[in-house]
Amino acid sequence: MRTLSTRRWVATVAAAAAATLILAGCAGGADNGGDSGASNKDNVTYALPAGTGPNWLLPMSPPDKMATHNKALKSTMWVPLFEYDGTGGAMDWDKKASAAKSYEFSADGTSVKITLNDLDWSDGKPVTSRDVEFWYNLARYNNTKIGGYSKGNMPDNVTKFEINDDKNFTLTFDKVYNQDFLLANQLTLIYPMPQHVWDKSADGEAVGDLDRDEAGAQKVLDYLFKQAEDMSTYATNPLWKTVSGPYTVAKWTDAGQVELTANEKYTGVDKAKIKNVTFMPFTSADAEMNVVRSGDLDYGYITSAQLSSKAQFENLGYKIDPWKGWSITYMPYNFANPTMGPVYKQLYVRQALQHAIDQKSISDVIWKGAATPGYGPIPQDPATDYLSDEQKNNPYPFDLKASEKLFTDHGWKKNAQGVLTCENAGSGADQCGDGIAAGQAMNIVVTTQNGSQETDNMMAEIKSSLQKVGVNMTIDAIPLDSVLTEAQSCKTGGDCKWELVFFGTAGSWYFSAYPNGERVFAKDTKWNAGQYDNPEAEQLITDLTFSTDKDIAKKYSALLAKDLPVMWMPNPVYQVSVIKKGLDIGGQQDPGASFYPQRWSWK
Amino acid sequence: MSDVTATPAATPAPQPRTAKPGRRALARFTSNRLAVFGLIVLVLFLIFCFLGPLFYQTDQVHTNLSEASLRPGERGHLLGTDDVGYDVLGRLMIAGQTSIIIGLAAGVLATLIGSFWGAIAGYVGGWVDSVMMRIVDAGIAIPATFLLLIISTIARPSVPLMILVIGLVSWLVPARLVRAESISLKSREYVLAIRAMGGTHSRAISRHIIPNSVGTIIVNATFQVADAILLVAYISFLGMGVQKPATDWGAMLTSGISYTYGGAWWLILPAGFCIVLVVVAFNCIGDGLRDYFDVKGRLK
Repeated sequence: MRTLSTRRWVATVAAAAAATLILAGCAGGADNGGDSGASNKDNVTYALPAGTGPNWLLPMSPPDKMATHNKALKSTMWVPLFEYDGTGGAMDWDKKASAAKSYEFSADGTSVKITLNDLDWSDGKPVTSRDVEFWYNLARYNNTKIGGYSKGNMPDNVTKFEINDDKNFTLTFDKVYNQDFLLANQLTLIYPMPQHVWDKSADGEAVGDLDRDEAGAQKVLDYLFKQAEDMSTYATNPLWKTVSGPYTVAKWTDAGQVELTANEKYTGVDKAKIKNVTFMPFTSADAEMNVVRSGDLDYGYITSAQLSSKAQFENLGYKIDPWKGWSITYMPYNFANPTMGPVYKQLYVRQALQHAIDQKSISDVIWKGAATPGYGPIPQDPATDYLSDEQKNNPYPFDLKASEKLFTDHGWKKNAQGVLTCENAGSGADQCGDGIAAGQAMNIVVTTQNGSQETDNMMAEIKSSLQKVGVNMTIDAIPLDSVLTEAQSCKTGGDCKWELVFFGTAGSWYFSAYPNGERVFAKDTKWNAGQYDNPEAEQLITDLTFSTDKDIAKKYSALLAKDLPVMWMPNPVYQVSVIKKGLDIGGQQDPGASFYPQRWSWK
Repeated sequence: MSDVTATPAATPAPQPRTAKPGRRALARFTSNRLAVFGLIVLVLFLIFCFLGPLFYQTDQVHTNLSEASLRPGERGHLLGTDDVGYDVLGRLMIAGQTSIIIGLAAGVLATLIGSFWGAIAGYVGGWVDSVMMRIVDAGIAIPATFLLLIISTIARPSVPLMILVIGLVSWLVPARLVRAESISLKSREYVLAIRAMGGTHSRAISRHIIPNSVGTIIVNATFQVADAILLVAYISFLGMGVQKPATDWGAMLTSGISYTYGGAWWLILPAGFCIVLVVVAFNCIGDGLRDYFDVKGRLK
């Protein structure tokens, strides 16, 4: 027994010593410089986000294949009609990456005439209006099978597709729409597809005009979807050899590793500069960072916590480049919560809570600069004309005194434990408000996603600030999937007990180029999780789609920045990129999360 | 005729002075230098964690982002600050409180449950013993860390919950040990006698079986405490421990690990050393106690 016992503590000491040595070894590795990795100028390796693997290449996707990286990859092979991105520093039409050369709206705004670029398919045939019509026909006859379809929107809102000639066509809409909405959120869904190769319903069948009637179009899409389900044939299937973009598939594994090679027949102006691009999947960020540390990735990412070890990656020959997302981050209030709903419905409560969020310090210190403060429903970086002054200037700056005063001015007083309690119930100007009973304490629960040190620290900081005001915040950290399920519980017949939820460690909501909030803040939409209901906001959200008022987005931005449908939070970057110093990515990283590998080059 | 030879009167040998039982026990314990080392380390840690905050006062409730990530010695922070501005030395103290309280309480809870379970199983025997020990076998087959992680995911982690959960997954080993003792003790005369005099089974277990297993129980309890402290560290290291502003040494380690490559040793090494030292201390004490209770050890 003595031997066993002695072994026990000897083993403990040995384990501790081993752990210390490992740590020391790891730390020592920080100084390893060098410039290993791919230096072949015809190749580049890129790390895909952890846990994601590209699994679809056809320009039209079923709903479960709508991942951003799928879209980013297929755009390199089939050029979309309109591409909007932020590579130029602002979210704008990227003409080089688009099949459309120009557009012209009719005087009454109900139709748009589009002219195509001089693009050819890789088999030498030109990209024509018929190829756009092919997409439209497949979409309109198969709308429910297509991911991203929203009833009433594209293609339902197109009443007539008219081919003027090979390079010109006109789309007529069912009503007048906001032109930014049409261009950035609707026409960007369209891809010219090679009708002369794909318009068939079986292998070996002659290509015809099957797409022009409903039954034929359905057969064609079923056939294309079936072919696209087999990832192992992406590099060999003749269907996928006819491309219009700068790249074509060289290899695509079931595990999600994709190798693209330059399309030698590409005739556009966005020609590939590096011949071979490899997209690597990773199961976790840690696994990816290990490969970065080995120098075997040319373009990867690190977690923002690693920004404190920036020098390590710079010594390895990388430059650090945070990739900002076209997104907003927020915590919805549950206005339907049986107990706390009436409290959150009071604007002064939301204002007071917002005053207690020190977004600048959280962004700078906790996210180490890899997040930017956000004060409203429009993404703030890069700045756009949609952004109102009210949102830009932060209507509720960090001010704990102002926060506490809002409570005390409305009948709340700190109890012996320092927690604010409603003492003056009622609906008067100096009272707590409708539905709040005397004795109601400001005990709030935030359900947040776990697994992120930055998020944990951010919640600890918010809890600390709120405690100074007199609000007792409980943090309930659970896995992201559970948070998202919880957030929907009121709408799915669940217990609806959540109060605030946070699912924004990588940004809460990513927008199309035109950032309308119809899917987030409109009354009956799924992701208005907290059931925010403001008729004025509802009208503005509708107007964002239909109004021709150039300032409509600004009005929407101003109202929601002030009305606080959610608690606005710092918006983390899409990822903190590490890029080999010799690799020029040809502009800014796209906030819309597209890659544009054709613009990368080795210096 | 008798040939009697008178034998000289034997000179009485000098009798060893009989020491008091308490002193003898202390002497036996202190003869084990590692045990003394363990005890000293443990006492120092108890003073550091529970009395330290009285002399080195820091705010361990509110974050202070303006003082985040300071190096040791900067702005009066002896061991620097962490990434949200908590003073690391002060945090080691309150983290130690959590680790030691959970460790001690969970260790005691596990020992109590295990002792009663094992004593009953061994004493009653038969199918009751079989069923009870198969439950123990089944429990041992499930990794404790796995169970703890699941429970931490379902319920909001707190100190009482962690004591309960760690206690409930750690009683299996003491149950086995005490059962073995119980089987041996139940056939002793004094146990048989109490049954013959009409004593109840519960009296036999509580007054004779368990008290006579106390050596095994106490020795195992020290190891249980050490294991519980490690379990707390594991769970917290995996991000499932107590929530901020509360913390424990494992949580401090996991917060600091991201800064390994940044050279922020003060976020990792102090918490790591605290865990190692306290666990080693408990193991050393356990080793000393085992020697104390071991009959062979007494004869030395």
